[in-house]
Amino acid sequence: MDKAAFLARVGEYHKNGWRLAIINATTVPSPDEVTPGVFEISWGFAHELEFETIRETVTTADEVPSVSEFFGAAFLYENEMRELFGINVTGIGLDLGGQLYKTSVKIPFSHAAVKARLEATAAANAAAAGKKA
Amino acid sequence: MKRTIVPFGPQHPVLPEPIVLDLLLEDEKVVDAIPTIGYIHRGLEAMVDRVEYTEMGFVVERICGICSFMHGLGYCLALESIMNVEVPDRARWLRIIWAEISRIQSHLLWLGLGADAFGFENLFMHCWRMREEILDIFEKTTGGRIIHSVNRIGGVKRDIADSELVAILARLDELGSAFDATVKVFGSDASIRHRLGGVGILSAADARAVDAVGPMARASGVRMDTRLTGQNLYDQLDFEPVLETAGDCLARVIVRMREVRQSIELVHQMVDKMPKGEGMPLENKPRGNPSGETFTRLEQPRGEVVYYVKANGTKYLERFRARTPTFANIPAMIKLVKGCDLADVPNIILTIDPCISCTER
Repeated sequence: MDKAAFLARVGEYHKNGWRLAIINATTVPSPDEVTPGVFEISWGFAHELEFETIRETVTTADEVPSVSEFFGAAFLYENEMRELFGINVTGIGLDLGGQLYKTSVKIPFSHAAVKARLEATAAANAAAAGKKA
Repeated sequence: MKRTIVPFGPQHPVLPEPIVLDLLLEDEKVVDAIPTIGYIHRGLEAMVDRVEYTEMGFVVERICGICSFMHGLGYCLALESIMNVEVPDRARWLRIIWAEISRIQSHLLWLGLGADAFGFENLFMHCWRMREEILDIFEKTTGGRIIHSVNRIGGVKRDIADSELVAILARLDELGSAFDATVKVFGSDASIRHRLGGVGILSAADARAVDAVGPMARASGVRMDTRLTGQNLYDQLDFEPVLETAGDCLARVIVRMREVRQSIELVHQMVDKMPKGEGMPLENKPRGNPSGETFTRLEQPRGEVVYYVKANGTKYLERFRARTPTFANIPAMIKLVKGCDLADVPNIILTIDPCISCTER
């Protein structure tokens, strides 16, 4: 991602009086064994009745800059993205150092964790179909 | 000056649910607060990998026992948006009637908890007795007091007979009269004013800076309410959000009290305007699997909730996310406790109406 351009866009929203309504990450699994999986991140901004998003696609190798300098409340979303998705968010306003959540599965929305859950679902469905047959 | 760290929570008399704030104190003043959540995180969002989208609505309802109706509604609205499903008119009106009744029960529950926290046990009992009446209405109309399961993708499962709607209005009016007597106590009791007045002030500028939502923002004079978008038929109602300007704990109580009264009035308007008659269609069942993505916003009792749904054409969603109002209000809560007296922390935290169950979806 182009960090400077991204931060400039976020700064525009802030300057124009929009508020940060959500930051959401989605794990997009790889379509094959060669292509690495990616994460889609959406920053959602609301102003009066309007709602707009900025979308970036990143990998675990990418650095995602914090938007804390514009929106102080971003720190919760950003700590969450790091702890639940393993996304490398840098410069978080209030960095909780991995202590926001206490989860039994480390990084539960990592590509490996999502893949394992999808495979388990497929296996359970196949077993159920076998029983019916 | 010597600094001390006092952990607030996860177990505390004013907190029915676990959250931790590590309070950094200088003498009796809080100078910083570090939050920790996750004690009851259930990972419901991850269940989209193994629960079909048609059944996921029942899981989403269980995010929280207080906002269960609203969560079910938000999920269905998101899927309907992706699948281009048109919901029958009567079902749309029934949904917002239940939504406003849900707001009343949530605020009554909170007012009771608030009263309990500042040491007014009788007031707590009055508020919860009134809330029972609302739960009776839910039980009679949906079959469930807490988990209702009436929302379906494409409509609602049950109708409310016109005669029953009239009976509900009468019951709400009775409740409103009883509530007015309680309001007088909240508004005039010297000990309540002493405990809450001028405590935990969030200015309008600060509320905007920390992206506060719901009664938290409106008590600071910020005119912010997703019902103003006019979606879900609110554009057909005479509606203006309740605002207070003091921004203190008392203002947050007053906003919720006035919203109880306002919701009763809104239900009257809804029953007046909705199409009448027996046997009207209530559901348009969607066909196939959803494909696409959407953000959906709703005004829950605690404020704006944002749902994100991404579907890939299979029966399992690729992503479901709920950004709940309490999650959005945690930065405001931290802002408020900084600089306050340790003794005021419980009331300040309680007046954001924290729902940890929602936050720990």
